[in-house]
Amino acid sequence: MEILRNILRHKLRSFLTISGIVIGVLALTTMGALAENFNALIDGGVTYFGGSVTVGPPDGEAASLLPLSKIDEIKRIPGVQAAFPSYGFSAKPGAVTTVSFGIPDQIVAGDPAENSWSALKTSYAQGGSISATSQGEVVLGSTIDKEFNKKIGDTLDLPVKPADAKPDFVNHTFKVVGILNPTRTAPDTFAYINTADGQMLLKDSLPSAIRDQIDVSQITEGIDVYGKAGSSISDLDKIANRINQQVSGVKATKPSTLVDSFKSGGAIFTAITTAAALLALIIGGLSVVNTMFMAVAERVREIGLKKAVGATTFNILGEFLIEATMIGLIGGLIGYGLGAAIVLYANATTPTGQSTLFLITVNLTILAIGFATVLGAVAGVLPAWRAARLDPVTALRNE
Amino acid sequence: MANVKLVNLTKLYKRGSETIHALVDVSLDIEMGEFVSVVGRSGSGKTTMLDLMGLLLKPTSGSLIIDDVDTTKLGDRERARVRARKIGFVFQEYNLLSGLNVLENVMMPLRYTKDGKAGKQRAVELIERVGLSDRARHRPTELSGGQAQRVAIARSMINQPSLILLDEPTGAVDTETAQQLIDLLKRRNQEDKVTIVIVTHDLDIAGQGSRQIRLKDGRVLTDQKLLEGVPVA
Repeated sequence: MEILRNILRHKLRSFLTISGIVIGVLALTTMGALAENFNALIDGGVTYFGGSVTVGPPDGEAASLLPLSKIDEIKRIPGVQAAFPSYGFSAKPGAVTTVSFGIPDQIVAGDPAENSWSALKTSYAQGGSISATSQGEVVLGSTIDKEFNKKIGDTLDLPVKPADAKPDFVNHTFKVVGILNPTRTAPDTFAYINTADGQMLLKDSLPSAIRDQIDVSQITEGIDVYGKAGSSISDLDKIANRINQQVSGVKATKPSTLVDSFKSGGAIFTAITTAAALLALIIGGLSVVNTMFMAVAERVREIGLKKAVGATTFNILGEFLIEATMIGLIGGLIGYGLGAAIVLYANATTPTGQSTLFLITVNLTILAIGFATVLGAVAGVLPAWRAARLDPVTALRNE
Repeated sequence: MANVKLVNLTKLYKRGSETIHALVDVSLDIEMGEFVSVVGRSGSGKTTMLDLMGLLLKPTSGSLIIDDVDTTKLGDRERARVRARKIGFVFQEYNLLSGLNVLENVMMPLRYTKDGKAGKQRAVELIERVGLSDRARHRPTELSGGQAQRVAIARSMINQPSLILLDEPTGAVDTETAQQLIDLLKRRNQEDKVTIVIVTHDLDIAGQGSRQIRLKDGRVLTDQKLLEGVPVA
C-alpha cells in the first residue's frame, strides 16, 4: 500500500515513467504477436517438411513433371515406407501477389491416405475426408472456407476464374465435403482434392501445344516420401541421399535443408521484431532508473529514519526494489493490455479470407509482462543499493 | 542493573587531514528506568554519544553494552535488530512519513520486527496514551508541532524498547508544548520503567530528569543525580 502511495506521490513523474514502460511493452506485445503468428506459420512448415522427403524434378528442369513409375522405384529404397504423388495449383490464378505474412490460396491434390502419414495433423470442423476414387470433392482449410463462405454440400469452382479471364479459361465445380479446423499454417489456405482431380487440373494447366501429348494419369508434379513412423530428420536425410543416389531423373530435397531454411527465416524475423521492441522497452527502463534515483534523493531522511527504527540494509534495498518492480509491473500490465487490445482488434477486422496477422500466446504474455517487471527490478537495483548503503546518521540530518 | 553501559567509548572523525575527537574515553552506567539528560554546548559530543548509544554509529574504540549485550561485537544485521527491539528514537524534526497517517506512522517500526497484529493494538493504545485518538487517521501535515512530536514519542515506544533516545525533542515547539511533552515522557518513564536519555540545550528540561550529564569537548564534565531538579550529593 505504501509502495503505491510512494508511486502516486509524484503523479506526473510516475505517469511519465510508467508511460515509457507502457510504450515499450505495447511495442513488444504487437511486434511479438506478429512474430508469434509468423513463427506458428514457420512451425507448420517445419512440422510438415520435417516429417517427409519432398521429391521433385532434377535441378535445372523447368517443368515439374515426373512419371508416376518413380513412386514404385522410390518405394524400393531401404527405409521408405510410403510414397504419394502430389500436385499443387494456384487457387486464384492471375491474382496479384503482394507482400504477405500468409500463404496464398492453393489447390493441393493427393491421395487422402497420405493424411495418416503426414506429421502435420489436421482435424475436421465439419464433414470429412475426400474420397480417393470419387472426383469433384474438395476439403477446405479454415481461411479459404471463410473467404468463400462455404458450408458442407456447397459447390466451389476451382481454380477461381479471374475477372479478366480469357474465354478459354477452364475450371471445375467441386462439392465441399469437409472443412478443416484452423492450424495457423499452410492448410488454412489450402483446398484439398484427390489425385484424379489433380491430374485433371494438371492437364488444364499444360500448354495447349503439348496438352494432348501427355498422359497426365501417368504424371505427378512431386512425390512425398515417408519413412517409418517417428523417423528423425537425420533418418529422412539419409533416405533423401539414397533416393538421389539410386533413382535417376528426380531430386530429393533433404528435410533438414528445408527445416533449417524455415527456422533461420523465422529466427531473423523474430530477432528484428523483438529487438525493435526491446529497444523501446530498455529506453523505458532507463526512465525507471532516473525516477528511482530521484525517489532516493527525496527520501534520504525517510531512509535514515527507517534504519534508525531497525531496518536493515536488506530491508531498504527490498523496499526500493519492490517499488521499481511495481512500476515495471504496472507499465507491463497496461502496455500488454493495450497491445493485446490492438492486435485482437486488428485480427477481428482482418478482411474475410485473409490470414490474421497477430497471435497472442501464453509465452508472449509471460515475456511481455515478465520482462517489464524484471526490467523495473533491474532498473531499481542501483538506486536501491544507493539507498540501502546510506549512512543513517548522515541521512537523518539531511536537509 | 545497568541498562546501558559505556566503557571507554571513543569516537574519532577524520575531516580532511584533521582528526575530530567527538567523544573521548567516556564511561557511564545508566540504570534501568533512569531519566538522563545530556547537556553541553554545540560540538561537545552530545549527539555523537546519542548516535553511538542508538547504534547508528560505530565507536572508534571502547564498548557499548545494552541489556548485557556488547553491541560493539555485533554485525550490521544484529545492530539493526537491537535498534528495532530495544531502542526507540525521537528527533527534533519529528521525522514522520508524510505519506502515512498517524496510526501508520506509529506502526511503521513494526514492519521490521514482524509484530503485526499485537503491534496494531499497541499502536492504538499508545496513540490514546499520547492523547491523539481523534487524530489517528490524520496525516502529519494536519498536526501541530506538539502533536507531531507526541506521534514520534508513540512511535518510539511501539516495539516496547528498554531505552528511548531523544535528540532535542522540544527544540521545535513552544515552552508550554515542550513541558507537556516532558510530562508525557516522565509518565512513560515512571509507568513503563523505560530508560530515557534526552539530549537538550534547554536547562529547564534538563533539570527535570533524574540525572544530568554535562559534556565538554567530547568528555564527561559532570555527572549528577537530581532530585526535583536539585543535584543530590
